[in-house]
Amino acid sequence: MHLPKFEYLEPGETSEVVSILGKYRGQCSIIAGGTDLLVAMKQRRQTPKYVISLAKVSELKQIREEAGMISIGPLATLEEVVASGPIQKKLPVLAQAAWEVGSPLLRTVATIGGNLCLDTRCRFYNQSEFWRGARPDCFKAGGVICHVTNKENTCYSTFSGDIAPALIALNAQIQLIGDGDERWLPLARFYTGVGRIPNLLAAGDNEVLTEIKVPLPADGTKGLYRKYRFRESIDFPLVGLAAILRVDPDDGICQEACLVFSGVGSRPVQAAEAENKLIGKRLNEDIIAAAAETAAGEVHPVKTDRVNPQFKKKIVKAMVREAFTELGGVKS
Amino acid sequence: MKRLINIVVNGEPHEVAVNPEQTLLEILREELGLTGTKKGCDQGECGACTVLVDGKPVSSCLVLAVSVNGKSIATIEGLSQNGRLHPLQEAFVQHGAIQCGFCTPGMLLAAKYLLENRPLPSEQEIKEAIAGNICRCTGYVKIIEAITAVAHSTAQ
Amino acid sequence: MSKYAVVGEGLPRIDGPEKATGQAKFTVDIKLPGMLYGKILRSPYPHARIISIDTSAAEALPGVKAVITGKDIGEVRYAFVDTPRYPADERPLAIDKVRYIGDEVAAVAAVSEAVAEEALGLIKVEYEVLPAVFTPEEAIKPTAAVIHENSLEGTSAWEEWGAAGRSHDYRAEVDIDNASARSAISFGDVEEGFRQADHIREDSFDAAATAHCALEPHAAVASYDPVNGKLDLWLSTMGIFLKRFVLSKALKMPISKVRVRHSYVGGAFGGKIDVFPYEFCAAYLSMKLGRPVKIELDREEVFTTTRQRHPISIKIKTGIKKDGTIVAQDIKLYADNGGYRGSGAIVVFLCHGFSFPVYNIPNYRYEGIAVYTNNPIRGPQRGHGAPQVRFAIDSQLDMIARELGLDPVEVMLKNVRHKGDVLPNGDKLNSCGLSDAIRGAAQGVNWTVGRSQLNKGEDCAKGSGRDGARFRRGVGMSLCSMFSGAMYYPFASAAMIKLHDDGSATLFTGSQELGQGIYTTLGQVAAEELGIGLDDIRVVAGDTEITPIDLGSFLSGGALVTGNAVKLAAADARRQLLEVAAEILEVKVEDLNYRNKQIFVKGNLDKSISYAKAIQGSVFRKNGNPIIGTGSYKGNPETDRYPSLAKAKGLFTSAYGFCAQAVEVEVDTLTGKVKVLKASTFHDCGFPLNKTIVEGQVEGCVSMGMGQALSEEIVLEKGQLFNASFLNYRLPIATDTPETKDGLVDSLEPNGPFGAKEVGEGAVAGMLAAVANAVNDAVGVRIYSTPITPDKVLSALQG
Ligand SMILES: Cc1cc2nc3c(=O)[nH]c(=O)nc-3n(C[C@H](O)[C@H](O)[C@H](O)COP(=O)(O)OP(=O)(O)OC[C@H]3O[C@@H](n4cnc5c(N)ncnc54)[C@H](O)[C@@H]3O)c2cc1C
Ligand code: SF4
Ligand code: FES
Ligand code: FES
Repeated sequence: MHLPKFEYLEPGETSEVVSILGKYRGQCSIIAGGTDLLVAMKQRRQTPKYVISLAKVSELKQIREEAGMISIGPLATLEEVVASGPIQKKLPVLAQAAWEVGSPLLRTVATIGGNLCLDTRCRFYNQSEFWRGARPDCFKAGGVICHVTNKENTCYSTFSGDIAPALIALNAQIQLIGDGDERWLPLARFYTGVGRIPNLLAAGDNEVLTEIKVPLPADGTKGLYRKYRFRESIDFPLVGLAAILRVDPDDGICQEACLVFSGVGSRPVQAAEAENKLIGKRLNEDIIAAAAETAAGEVHPVKTDRVNPQFKKKIVKAMVREAFTELGGVKS
Repeated sequence: MKRLINIVVNGEPHEVAVNPEQTLLEILREELGLTGTKKGCDQGECGACTVLVDGKPVSSCLVLAVSVNGKSIATIEGLSQNGRLHPLQEAFVQHGAIQCGFCTPGMLLAAKYLLENRPLPSEQEIKEAIAGNICRCTGYVKIIEAITAVAHSTAQ
Repeated sequence: MSKYAVVGEGLPRIDGPEKATGQAKFTVDIKLPGMLYGKILRSPYPHARIISIDTSAAEALPGVKAVITGKDIGEVRYAFVDTPRYPADERPLAIDKVRYIGDEVAAVAAVSEAVAEEALGLIKVEYEVLPAVFTPEEAIKPTAAVIHENSLEGTSAWEEWGAAGRSHDYRAEVDIDNASARSAISFGDVEEGFRQADHIREDSFDAAATAHCALEPHAAVASYDPVNGKLDLWLSTMGIFLKRFVLSKALKMPISKVRVRHSYVGGAFGGKIDVFPYEFCAAYLSMKLGRPVKIELDREEVFTTTRQRHPISIKIKTGIKKDGTIVAQDIKLYADNGGYRGSGAIVVFLCHGFSFPVYNIPNYRYEGIAVYTNNPIRGPQRGHGAPQVRFAIDSQLDMIARELGLDPVEVMLKNVRHKGDVLPNGDKLNSCGLSDAIRGAAQGVNWTVGRSQLNKGEDCAKGSGRDGARFRRGVGMSLCSMFSGAMYYPFASAAMIKLHDDGSATLFTGSQELGQGIYTTLGQVAAEELGIGLDDIRVVAGDTEITPIDLGSFLSGGALVTGNAVKLAAADARRQLLEVAAEILEVKVEDLNYRNKQIFVKGNLDKSISYAKAIQGSVFRKNGNPIIGTGSYKGNPETDRYPSLAKAKGLFTSAYGFCAQAVEVEVDTLTGKVKVLKASTFHDCGFPLNKTIVEGQVEGCVSMGMGQALSEEIVLEKGQLFNASFLNYRLPIATDTPETKDGLVDSLEPNGPFGAKEVGEGAVAGMLAAVANAVNDAVGVRIYSTPITPDKVLSALQG
């Protein structure tokens, strides 16, 4: 499977990236590590005329600790994220999530920015051109019908990135720079929940993701990232869970709880009701079980991969139980 | 449109004219004749195409050749020195870690990177380091043994 | 100390350094001057009639050298089985109909692969889509769409080899249009057997289709020399002579004008036996254009179009005495062979043939039916039928044993066959180490200790998690058997050994290295017999022009059949050498002994001569004979026929390999995930010619078997393969590796070279039931279909 022909551009400045994006609107793709984009291109799901590399924009690569924050350049590779001292120490959830992505051979080139921009996935869509040729183009591929639901003009393709749940749970902000325009927004708002155009950049607007800022968690915050997949490497998450918990050391009451999932919807899904079941309580087995039950009700997986959605809900339940039992030090 | 890139492959500088759509794997195999690097899937899923770019293992089927301009690349052909097998190669041969040999080049380079960064890895660390390299023949048992043996012998 | 100097030792393989340095050339690495690249256009529909094909736009694309379709090729048919009963039903390129998604429709040769790919997009094919069937149940309905309407003429490729003339059509026996083959056999009196039984169970099992996943994608390079009319081929193959035979017929070339040349094969596992359309097309295009043509399949094509293991539905009824003696068994199964017969006729034979040597069942009935569907074609894969049928038999036996309160291991021991037994088809077990293998494998997983966990925790099974521990462990076992070669084209292997001035030797063998270490193993056999070291042997192999004929590396015939041929060739060379030496030393041959390339007179060590000098002597004395030894051995020396596939009559093989496999698993009752912690395989391979290689084969089988038990599965919906990639077809990766304990039972097969028989195929088959039984042992649920995925386990647990 060969790549389609394209022109390769290597601007040296963010501003140049933005102006190229403006010039070739709708005809170009940004490439970071390329581990998602190049597969999409080989499968002819994407055939940009221009591929804009960020490799020469050196400022996009840095990981820095600032006042109360860690700033991460979108071009930092996942291996660099895993190895970063400040991240390991202060944002272990993020380090864990990055460690879980793909395989070691991908993490050396795959970037954190590319991971956040990861396209949603579906068993009818992430296939070769030949394969997709056996049936009409689905809605996401430019047609009308959705082969999963048999409905028109809908797409339930699944967000399967590992990093976004962790960063959303950590309240990360991202910076997007466009034509004379630059904005910060919470990462959670980056995702549209629309399978066909899953994030703010996917519509082909001329913006680029330039920085990720993560506030340092309050003292006593614990967190973990768990990934349910069949094999311990290579596989995307069937369900990913970033969980954060802060318990008052004096009275043992839960001050903060956060659960964000991957693999169960067209965007990273935060289980707010389940969080509410935990906050303000002293965690015990029953409370955790109730939260797990609630979380399972808050996710609505669709059969975009091989496993059946009911099974995913069971896994969500099991993962929530496991995560908070561990974070809360609750005996089971 | 072709463009010239300069790369150092196994210590030797090369100037290669490449098309943007060519992958590093294609350039190595087809332009430079380094067929020791294998194509098992062409989609980043098997590790047969593993090479080291600036010392780090990557799936070369998912790397654009234009993007490695100025970098140094190590392939399996450069692992033995002056006709002497690298200790990992020697161990793979001695321990029966090679069967069909198709995964072997990638496996060896992934193992090399591991031992350079973690001279005495645990068994779990070895498994994780080669978890992106699929081998259908061996069931991994003897590959893990071979890597362990090298780690132990160099540690002494 | 071993009584042998070279065989038995775990010597490093001779192709190791070449492979470790990236120097080994695989078919995909072959590049010839002026070479063109081919690509195949395939059907996107599971069942359709071709109305028209327009290739003009593709032909006009710059860089395209030729486009061919079925019309250009004309009437060419071939198949893995090609007998009057089962006439060949495959064509290199479709003419009238396409029968599965991936069926070949046209081929392009161009200056680069990219151009060829582009050209495919320019070929316009008009199809009339036809109703399709996707399961055996649908396919056998009287109203089902018929996939092969016309009975094809039975011209058998084997006729010149004495295949019986026209035998009656199998369709007369089964009144099913979509049936492609049937095997039926019985012995004893099944009804009476069931009457004698104290306990009878009837169950149904389903084994999934699986993929071979050889890391090297299939490829062919063809180079036609118009001046001499010769065709050179480099192929992904398991048997160079079989491929030459089938391809030369299909190409209508004299067999001697086709040469398959040596390249390494990057794993095969059964998936590179059949002749494939891309091979034919590469050759055809090269002949048409007078330039070399290479066709390399991409991974999706490999998954979709190069055969899979047959999914098989098995109904099994077993009657047993209170003491655990099996008295009757009735098996009926359907195998889905996809759009073409592939190896359908063989798998329904082997589901019996690879399985009946295990237990001694006095009253037995078996019927296997292969059916056409519009799914991808199925072919041989490691064990070929055995994993599926052993899954059913040993899962059920485990259930029965538990119901009777017996230990499954005891029940197995009670029923297995022994050395000296004569099988119902007349084959004699000259070696059989099953009982020892069972005891060894059981010990490997601490069988008695492991099982007591179950007995304590039976009540914890349902409901899970809360009351019992979250992770629960269990052990399970299953057995299997395998042929060591059989009668199949070219029916025999020969070998040749040439001695050199310095006393070293070159072995010429037509066998093919796939990773199974055959060059090394055969080199050891030759070295042992010649009294030289493995270093003194060079192996020339895998080339039909310069090596003698070979059965090929399937049906597990390598070690036994070719091994015997090599041993005989070496013995022949040694005899000649000793004869010359005797003449020179003026003693009788019987008085001579040899070691380290030196021949000496027994009891008089001063009187000796080196191999080198003896060879020189032979050149001077014997009209220049530099000593060439030859040897040959038949697939099954006891018979001059291949067995009847339909009636399973006739002798099958000259030796059966056996193995017992036990595993310990851990089940996560919260998520349903099953992890194999320990795998213990005791393999009766007769004698390990190379211990390291034998272990490596077993470990590879265990890993594959574990994958197929737990996660591997070809997922099809309406004939379309959803997981044609290593990402979605979940074969084991390094982190899945269990602790393995391999044991070898040296049963010393009298028919085998140094006692060796099969290795490398059997040890997949026992893994499926072993894992299923272990899961049951751990959490008390029975999974009736493979793979045993977390969602199945979880659903069963939560009832
Ligand atoms: C076999 C395999 C397994 C995988 N497994 C996992 C997994 O387990 N978990 C997981 O999360 N991912 C997985 N991936 C997907 C992918 O490797 C990762 O998500 C990776 O982090 C993507 O980063 P990248 O730099 O390679 O992205 P690229 O491919 O370079 O880019 C991805 C997308 O993001 C856009 N983009 C990238 N950077 C920017 C930017 N700064 N501004 C604007 N747009 C940008 C690109 O235009 C493109 O659309 C897997 C991929 C493969 C091939
Ligand atoms: S969910 Fe439907 S529309 Fe979206 S990618 Fe899958 S098939 Fe296409
Ligand atoms: S060929 Fe690159 S990972 Fe498989
Ligand atoms: S040795 Fe064959 S794939 Fe690893």
